[in-house]
Amino acid sequence: MAIVIFFIAAAMAVAGGIGVISFRQPIRSVLSLVVVMIALSVLFLLLSAQFIFVAQVIVYAGAVMVLFLFVIALLGPAKEIAKSRLRFQASLSALFVLALFGLLWAMLQGVTYRQPDKTVDMSIFGTVQSIGLGLFTKFLYPFELTSLLLLVAAIGAIYLSRKEGDDR
Amino acid sequence: MSGIYNDPIGHWVVVVVAIAILLFVVLTATAYTVWFERVALGHIQRRPGPNRVGPWGLMQLAADGVKLAFKESFVPAKTERTLFVVAPCIAVAAAFLAWAVIPIGLWYNVQYWIADINVGVLLVFALSSLNVYAIVIGGWASNNKYSLLGGLRSAAQLISYEMALGLALVPTFMIVGSLRLRDIVEYTVTWGPYHGPIPLILLTPIGFVIYLIAAVAETNRAPFDLPEAEQELIGGFLTEYSGLKFVMYYLAEYVNMITVSALAALLFFGGWYLWFVPPVLAFLLKIVLFLFLYIWLRGTFPRLRYDMLMRLGWKVLLPLAIVNVIVTGTILVASQG
Repeated sequence: MAIVIFFIAAAMAVAGGIGVISFRQPIRSVLSLVVVMIALSVLFLLLSAQFIFVAQVIVYAGAVMVLFLFVIALLGPAKEIAKSRLRFQASLSALFVLALFGLLWAMLQGVTYRQPDKTVDMSIFGTVQSIGLGLFTKFLYPFELTSLLLLVAAIGAIYLSRKEGDDR
Repeated sequence: MSGIYNDPIGHWVVVVVAIAILLFVVLTATAYTVWFERVALGHIQRRPGPNRVGPWGLMQLAADGVKLAFKESFVPAKTERTLFVVAPCIAVAAAFLAWAVIPIGLWYNVQYWIADINVGVLLVFALSSLNVYAIVIGGWASNNKYSLLGGLRSAAQLISYEMALGLALVPTFMIVGSLRLRDIVEYTVTWGPYHGPIPLILLTPIGFVIYLIAAVAETNRAPFDLPEAEQELIGGFLTEYSGLKFVMYYLAEYVNMITVSALAALLFFGGWYLWFVPPVLAFLLKIVLFLFLYIWLRGTFPRLRYDMLMRLGWKVLLPLAIVNVIVTGTILVASQG
């Protein structure tokens, strides 16, 4: 059953990824990206990472992509007109894709697969409790530093969006 | 029962039957919520409300449903047809999926749920955040400026109040130490001679108030129904919708109302525990009281202006929720240390 769900979710993720770059309407690209996010969240769930699954849906699908949608919806239902002067990119991209797949193939040559770690207690793995414990003990400093980074970004965004001479 | 659960095919049968029963119950409840709202609003406004179809107008919703189902499924010209149809489906799907994690106490020590997952309440939040798409996409695909503005307003409103809603529940999670709704309901205390479950509102009253306000805003209900403020936006994102697609949005709104009422009952009022009242009745009674509160609010308060709504969300509820988390944390640490 898990393998069936995996392939459905993986196919959805790939289809969404193709949709992001091939739709001519920005809003459809955004919605394709949402499909990718949700498909990825299903993959997290299959790996027993319940909390990451919900965080992926809430943060990426629920907040980040909604902000994208917010901006793009204001553009109206206009279609992007295909520009012909960048035609040479098509053949160039084919070349790059071939090179990329070559690299991937070369990289996967020496890979050996191993069995999942049987010593992990699956009853607490990926739960909110275990992630919270990890964040506030083992990973406390990286966690706090990241929050500082986000705070700086938020203050920066507020400062930059202020108009000149706006004292409010 | 556990034998059936262990058998792989039996497990699927049980789950499918459970989902079917739940779907039927929630749909019926939705229909009668609409009836209840119309009658209660009628009495608040000193008029009888629907009373012609069936005894006390109880069949009104069946009549309305048949009428709406037989309406022409009209899609205006120059809309984005696919997205126009998909948007209401997202709304309904997100609304119903939330019921997968809501446990229902049927009798003493007999509970019913479809999925008892570790992240519990967070899944409801995840689904309610997906609900934004239904509204924004519906508004955008309608190719109507009022629809678009209604949709965007709603997106801004939902994002703003989602944070207050989430933070309002953090103290509850801190006290109970679990996000599982069943654990939250079963949370027991020993206070002197009393040992047993308590309504958590006693421990987080501020959290409850914030939850209550934010939940009304999250479900787009009056006095926070700005996405469809008719004086300014005609019908908001619903303007171009009619027939069954309109019904789907309508249905989603009422299912969401029942969901947040059920969550309030589970999170703050001890779910199915109420003195000597049988569990299922106690749970139902609490949900109905919350639904009545919703209707009461709608019949009593004028709609907020948009800037007032944003100010309330960001400058009052959010800071209050953060302070509430800090205070609760401090008290918890102090009482343990």
